[in-house]
Amino acid sequence: MPNVMRFILKRLGMTLVILFCVSIIAFGLIRIAPGNPAMLVLPDGAPEEAIRAMEVKLGLDQPLPVQYFRYIGGVLKGDLGTSIIYKIPVKDLIFQRLPVTFQLTVITMVVCLLISIPLGIIAGSRQGTIIDFSATMFALLGQSMSTVWMGILVIYIFSVKLGWLPSMGYGTWQNFVLPAITLGYPVAAQVTRMGRSGMIDVLKEDYITATYAKGIGKAVVYTKYAFKNALIPIVTIVGMQIGTYLAGAVVVETIFAWPGFGQLIFQAVGTRDYPLVQSCLLVSAALFAIVNMFVDILNSFIDPRITLH
Amino acid sequence: MDKKILFSRMLKSKFFMVGAVLVLLIVLLSVFSPFIVQFDPVTNSLKDRLISPEYFASGLSGHVFGTDDLGRDIFSRLLLGSRYSLFIAAAVVLVAAFIGTILGAVSGYFGGVTDMIIMRLCDIMMAIPNLVLAIAVMAILGPNIFNLIIVLIVTSWVQYCKVTRNNVMVVKNAEFVKASQVLGAKKTHIMFRQIFPNVTTQLIILISQQFGWTILTEASLSFLSLGVQPPTPSWGNMIADGRNYLITNPWMVFAPGIALMITVLAFNFLGDGLRDVLDPKKI
Repeated sequence: MPNVMRFILKRLGMTLVILFCVSIIAFGLIRIAPGNPAMLVLPDGAPEEAIRAMEVKLGLDQPLPVQYFRYIGGVLKGDLGTSIIYKIPVKDLIFQRLPVTFQLTVITMVVCLLISIPLGIIAGSRQGTIIDFSATMFALLGQSMSTVWMGILVIYIFSVKLGWLPSMGYGTWQNFVLPAITLGYPVAAQVTRMGRSGMIDVLKEDYITATYAKGIGKAVVYTKYAFKNALIPIVTIVGMQIGTYLAGAVVVETIFAWPGFGQLIFQAVGTRDYPLVQSCLLVSAALFAIVNMFVDILNSFIDPRITLH
Repeated sequence: MDKKILFSRMLKSKFFMVGAVLVLLIVLLSVFSPFIVQFDPVTNSLKDRLISPEYFASGLSGHVFGTDDLGRDIFSRLLLGSRYSLFIAAAVVLVAAFIGTILGAVSGYFGGVTDMIIMRLCDIMMAIPNLVLAIAVMAILGPNIFNLIIVLIVTSWVQYCKVTRNNVMVVKNAEFVKASQVLGAKKTHIMFRQIFPNVTTQLIILISQQFGWTILTEASLSFLSLGVQPPTPSWGNMIADGRNYLITNPWMVFAPGIALMITVLAFNFLGDGLRDVLDPKKI
């Protein structure tokens, strides 16, 4: 399908332009920061000459545009710079930490969708019942829960009071449970709501009435016709939530000492490890953009009405 | 819409009533907190460390939720913290809504190159996850309340811009706008006097939803010690302080956590309620 190809290429081009701008922002942000990065690398009270030498070594003596093009040139060749604090290539660090975050994110996402999609659809198709009321409450509460409060609350219940699960760390399956609940609940809440309102809207459509008129049974109407259309806003919201996941991961990984990408960003920012910070910002924007692109393409497959322009 | 109809719809919507009453209560509590607070919420008092909650055994003059690790009364800090959380959220939401609406209106009304530039700017802002950007900027600018407000504005105006733009583009083609153009009305007149009143409904709903988001984000940043700085209390940094004392006095976390939950819930209720009340389709 050449149409799809053109669409993908167009989206890809747009994504690249956005990422280019993000790279300028990320680079610029670090330069606004007070303090000399060269002094961070050296021990306290290093002599003036040592600081100058380090500036030259890090390329900080060059004018800003030169520094930027050196950086972006490196990025295009796959070199994201070297971390000042860890003293190893940023690329290695990010590749080390991303899978750890992905494990958490993917498991959370799968469990979250398995619970919230059926919940939302059932609630929407049985408006006004107890199931609908409970699902709505579940969703409203989830959207009002602060990640920090939720995290500490589950630690209090399951680690401090019941002693069932570890409050922090990484390695066993038990370690997954609490961070996954904390990260997943707000998203599950939103998906439930979208599913519910999507289902309600779809069931009002004329084509649903038409299928009934044709004598098709309720079960088939719901599963075959209504469900598919209620899915569209859900796919969009899940895609948009990837960004929230990445952001939420910073808080969740900090609370649960989860050695992932979020924690890496937080530490990098705290220690002013500028090559790491700018690459982390760029990578998170790239991930976000790629996911959103797939969401658009996926949506156009689910709903042929969405044109590929 | 007629005021009478609006009022009767408000009374009928459960979400709206619960939300409005709760929000009103929270705002009043925080405004009048200096008259309720019995203890100094900021100064340490090490002899009073980690006193257990007395709840309301001795009314408001006792330590209702006990004291924290530095001997400060948690209830007093909670109330003072509410002032910071609400003030920050109000400032952020109003300024962001103002900037976003103007840009959105301009973008939607003029279209063309202006629209393209503003929309691409929105795309770029939306490309970096909000909280990640906020964390980076806060760490770089240095955490204080002014910077916190700026960062939250920078990360949230896009929403208003997008919503206003889309609505303006729809209203722009309405017949009454065409009529004004034919009659020779100025562009600013058409934009602010004729189109704008028709897009306020969506804005009001968005503002009340964004209130909750802003309070949550502020709490996360303060929790990560990138927001409101101690000894100034905020619900986020109170939760951070309390996490190591979950066994001795869990109310150090419970009090701000529950307050945060109820406040955001109240604004979410209000937002949902407003949508029901203002939706012309639901009569």
